Amino acid sequence: MVRRLPEYLTIWVPLLLSAAHLIAFTLWTIWISFTPSTLVPISGWVGLRNYSAVAASRNWQIALDNLLLFGSAFVLLSLATGLILAILLDQRIRGENVLRSIFLYPLAVSFVVTGTVWSWLLNPGLGIQKLVHDLGWTSFRFDWLIDRDMAIWTIVIAAIWQSSGFAMALFLAGLRSVDADLIKAAQIDGAGPIRMYRRVILPTLWPITVTVIVIQLQFAISTFDLVRALTNGGPGIATQLPALVVYDLMFQRSLLGRGAAAAVLMLLLLLAVLLPYAGWRYVQRRRAIHA
Amino acid sequence: MPITTTRRRLLAGSAAALALPAFARAQGAAKPRLTAISQWSAGSDGAAITALGKKFEEKGGVWQHSPVPGFTTEMMNKLRAQIIAGDPPACSQLKGPEIAAWSKIAPTVDLDALVAAAGYEKVVAPDLAKLHKPGGKWIALPLQIYSTNMLFLSKRAMDKAKADKIPVTWADFNDLADKMKSGGVAYPVANGGTRPDDGQKFEASLAGISPTAYRSAIMNLDKKALEGPEIKAAFVQVRKIADWMDPNVGAQHFSTNLKRFVDGDMGMMIMGGWAQGVLRNAGFKFEDFVIAPGPSDNSKPVFLLNADAFIFWQRKEPDLQAGQQLMAQLVMDPAIQTMYSQITGSIPVRTDVDLSGEGWSDGQRRTAAALKDAIGSNQALLSFAHNMALENGMTAAMIDVITEYVKNKTIKPEQAATRLADAVESAR
Repeated sequence: MVRRLPEYLTIWVPLLLSAAHLIAFTLWTIWISFTPSTLVPISGWVGLRNYSAVAASRNWQIALDNLLLFGSAFVLLSLATGLILAILLDQRIRGENVLRSIFLYPLAVSFVVTGTVWSWLLNPGLGIQKLVHDLGWTSFRFDWLIDRDMAIWTIVIAAIWQSSGFAMALFLAGLRSVDADLIKAAQIDGAGPIRMYRRVILPTLWPITVTVIVIQLQFAISTFDLVRALTNGGPGIATQLPALVVYDLMFQRSLLGRGAAAAVLMLLLLLAVLLPYAGWRYVQRRRAIHA
Repeated sequence: MPITTTRRRLLAGSAAALALPAFARAQGAAKPRLTAISQWSAGSDGAAITALGKKFEEKGGVWQHSPVPGFTTEMMNKLRAQIIAGDPPACSQLKGPEIAAWSKIAPTVDLDALVAAAGYEKVVAPDLAKLHKPGGKWIALPLQIYSTNMLFLSKRAMDKAKADKIPVTWADFNDLADKMKSGGVAYPVANGGTRPDDGQKFEASLAGISPTAYRSAIMNLDKKALEGPEIKAAFVQVRKIADWMDPNVGAQHFSTNLKRFVDGDMGMMIMGGWAQGVLRNAGFKFEDFVIAPGPSDNSKPVFLLNADAFIFWQRKEPDLQAGQQLMAQLVMDPAIQTMYSQITGSIPVRTDVDLSGEGWSDGQRRTAAALKDAIGSNQALLSFAHNMALENGMTAAMIDVITEYVKNKTIKPEQAATRLADAVESAR
């Protein structure tokens, strides 16, 4: 016991501290969301008034619509891009290491940098559209950044650029760990490459797919820095996302109570993703033990 | 900050203190020190507050300014954190109705004696003075004034439009914009894409159409005035302005486009007087642009007041208290206000400063004259887009509607007016 004390200390002290922080601040935020706090936290009780005010606001409604669109488009497209990249890399091509680094590298860039770079690239007066115009194709239009219906897609583009490498890495690891005997057996049975992927290899990937979906979804729900740097919720308020609304209420409008209520609503959204995943993992493990 | 600079500053400060023994006695044993936060970090704003700090050091003080770049709200977040931690700065930037709101959450310094000694109250516009003494006592001091609805005209764009008359009413403005468009100016209105930028387009329109409606609808949030025809008319004017703007600016700051404005690629800019400081700081000349009061349909200037101020937070340390005294005296000093305004392009708060001398631009003289006229005709109003008229939460709720209207041309003016009234109701 004494000999292992350093090990216990290194593991348990930070773990308990961060758990305490997480739980304490979550509880504190929940408490604040029921108080009439504005500039600074104060005590008091206003019931669900902060929640109803947030839910009724246009900003929040737009943010939820956007989250639905952004979340599903981003998760599906980054999944698809990551999978295609992984399959292509899996063909034992030359320079695989270099390509893998290139695809994975955007993940190392902070979202603020990604957002800023893409905001210049996508700006029709400065970026891609201007480049194509200067090359002579003057009717070319790519002005999603300032088009309030399409602006949310610019965030999807930037987010996919940033994180499809991550999906690729996980899928590639999955592809490489497929049992070689399975593949040989399929080859003997005369399966072509497409059929092999569809029928043999991809079905073994589905636990990884679920993991990727969950990780990307929780990223989508908590997206803040990317959209703040890229569109800052604009044009107008067309690209609001829940995290932006929370920040806006708390730190721009000095309405701490409402901001806390919006934050708690966000937490509920996250739980809606994470709890089923945890349940699924639990069932999986039970099954593995009984098998 | 590198250590060497601090040491040099300290040395300079103590040398000045030695040179001013009379002052040191007056302040007691403690050497005045000031911890201050503001949003002024760069450009002409940064240069001005640095110059103020130099003066503070010349008087024997230790100047500890921590700028928080970005919008005022970013500075407020630091202020909030410091107040909650029980360690407020001796002095911070704060303005408008926020002074009253924030003074409720932490004790402030009673400046009445200092203000009386300096005879400051007599030389400050009464509406402005009221904002700085919410409980009847002075707790904050205004430093400089801007009008948020100044009209900047690009000389080269005027040449392209073959026009030389400065527009007075909105009809003149619209005429000139049309002429500029047909004269080859790509975008008759220069703009940025930030929220206050959009808010300014609206406040300038409404105040120019009817100062009375502005006062009751915006400053007093009168329900009937908010549903009045002037609001709709203002939205109609905003749409015209929006149609002349470059839609490509996205969420950029207005200063990004100053070169295009000076080059005559963009024609007119409705912006606060600070744009003069920014233009000058970017190396452009007074010959490149004209500054005039914003359009006003009754031809008398309308002045949308935006005044930067310092609020003083209670501290127990004798050196900080001495620093607050020194700072208050400096802020009220006509020479300091002159120095400050000449760097930033604002006009002094003191109405008794003479602007005829060198170092002042025609635009600043016109601004000062406009303020005098506007006070005379009761058309000096508090800026809404720059948080002088209402508290942040209300302003933000209203700007949501305006910024969406500017960017979404399918929203009709009537719809926008209804949404604005609704936003006010739900934010009350």
